[in-house]
Amino acid sequence: MSGDAANGHAAGGGGPAGEGLEGQHALGVRCEGLSFWYDEGATRIAALRGVDLTLAPGASVALLGPTGSGKSTLLQLLRGLLAPDEGRVLIDGLAAGEDGYEERERRIGLVFQMPEMQLFAATCRDDVAFGPRQLGWSAAEVDDAVTSALAAVGLPADRFGARHPYSLSGGEQRRLALAGVLAMRPGLLLLDEPFVSLDPASRRDLEAILRGLRATGMGLVLATHDVDRAYGLCDARVVLDEGVVVDAGPWRFGAGGEDALLSHRLKLPFVVELWRRLGRAAAEAPPELAAAAEALA
Amino acid sequence: MRMAIAQYYPRASPIHRLDPRCKVVAVAALVVGLFLRSSFAALAVYGLVAVAGLLLSGVPLGWVARGLRPVVWLLVLTFVVQLLFAPGPAFYTLGPLHLSLRGLAIAGYLSLRLVVLVVASLLLTLTTPPIALTDALAWLSRPLRRLRVPTEELALMVTIALRFIPTLMQEIDTIMKAQRARGASFTRGGPLRRARALVPVLVPLFILSFRRADELALAMEARCYLPGAPRTRLHPLHAHRRDAVVLVLVAALVVLAELI
Repeated sequence: MSGDAANGHAAGGGGPAGEGLEGQHALGVRCEGLSFWYDEGATRIAALRGVDLTLAPGASVALLGPTGSGKSTLLQLLRGLLAPDEGRVLIDGLAAGEDGYEERERRIGLVFQMPEMQLFAATCRDDVAFGPRQLGWSAAEVDDAVTSALAAVGLPADRFGARHPYSLSGGEQRRLALAGVLAMRPGLLLLDEPFVSLDPASRRDLEAILRGLRATGMGLVLATHDVDRAYGLCDARVVLDEGVVVDAGPWRFGAGGEDALLSHRLKLPFVVELWRRLGRAAAEAPPELAAAAEALA
Repeated sequence: MRMAIAQYYPRASPIHRLDPRCKVVAVAALVVGLFLRSSFAALAVYGLVAVAGLLLSGVPLGWVARGLRPVVWLLVLTFVVQLLFAPGPAFYTLGPLHLSLRGLAIAGYLSLRLVVLVVASLLLTLTTPPIALTDALAWLSRPLRRLRVPTEELALMVTIALRFIPTLMQEIDTIMKAQRARGASFTRGGPLRRARALVPVLVPLFILSFRRADELALAMEARCYLPGAPRTRLHPLHAHRRDAVVLVLVAALVVLAELI
């Protein structure tokens, strides 16, 4: 608890105004042999099978995979909303039940798919304050956290704080829900399909916010099949299919059956595809065009 | 999150194949008969009918046991209360407790009757898909249309409600998880605090449900649904000779049970 309190005081005291989200202690997470089954009446369906994964503090990782590959289950296991049937989750090297684990687990923020579905309070301010109040923070700390979280998602408290959440647009509601998680000052942010069913402008807004969060040193895990945005936002990728990690590490792209994205019902990022086509076009270009390109260069 | 209500067990058995209307009427006759006459002999007849039906249906006993689970406490309570407080000469005395043979008989009778009652109704719900069940009830309540009771519309409402129970359960599960991720606890504190903890779950759930109801209504209108208009069915109910045989058989057994 002491690390958290120290951060809170720093933000409330001499810290830079409106930037309470910076300087949070980033969490490192490790999964070891994580398996999980869903009970479907008589049958059990494997959602994850022996997942080993390391998320360094402050890393931004894309969790890619087709629908039903186990992305959401993995996020919920990391946050402790589901208990693994096999294996374990280590946060900062601590296992569940060890001193300090619970406090760290609470600092893993999870933004669910379509999180605007969970808005319930009468004002934006109250909704964002829900999490911090559950953590038992003082009124001043809650106030501070809410104000900076609202600012971080581009919904300044003075303009949006008193508004009813359901009077906001779809994109604003999504950002408000994100603020509700950010207000708890997470050291790692898990996002489940954050861009789904947003219009292009709202997607761009959200992408800019996530980029800003990454710049503060906050770790991000982005579960999505939007490969383009994942490539733009994340340094590394984990490809999950049928509950198994089929590829993990920095971005790299192979051809056809060699590329984990292509062989697991995903696609290459648009830029990569474009680059590849340009390369192919250049190789097949008639000599006078190649010469012209060289002359221009 | 698991549903506790008895579910349909799909299988191709003689009982599954019966017309749902026939099954509803037969089970209703059994249940009424069960309460009309209190004798062990009648109970035995009804019990045998229920067990025979179960064996024919091929529903695993585990499913029946699961259906009985919610009434276990009622069974135990009925048995114990009757055993302890029924009058009659005691066959065993322990301090202030007098256990009489008469009490034992009454307790046994009442508990067994409850078991037969539940098994008979389980036989209906385990072998009949909910939609077929509402179809049957709609058909059977057709005479009420003369009294301007909108039976078709009521049946449709029940069908839609049944259809959305699993969806709602799924949504409750997701919303609860999401609020837990925001620090909510649904197990902490006294009853008042727990009830208040449900506000962040119920508000979104209601909003979602209203929105879905609106959308469903629009979609139904777009597909030309007109309340009160005569509707045909994709799977019209067909009664066969076997249904008549079963009804006659059940009627005969009920008469037998009432006479012996």
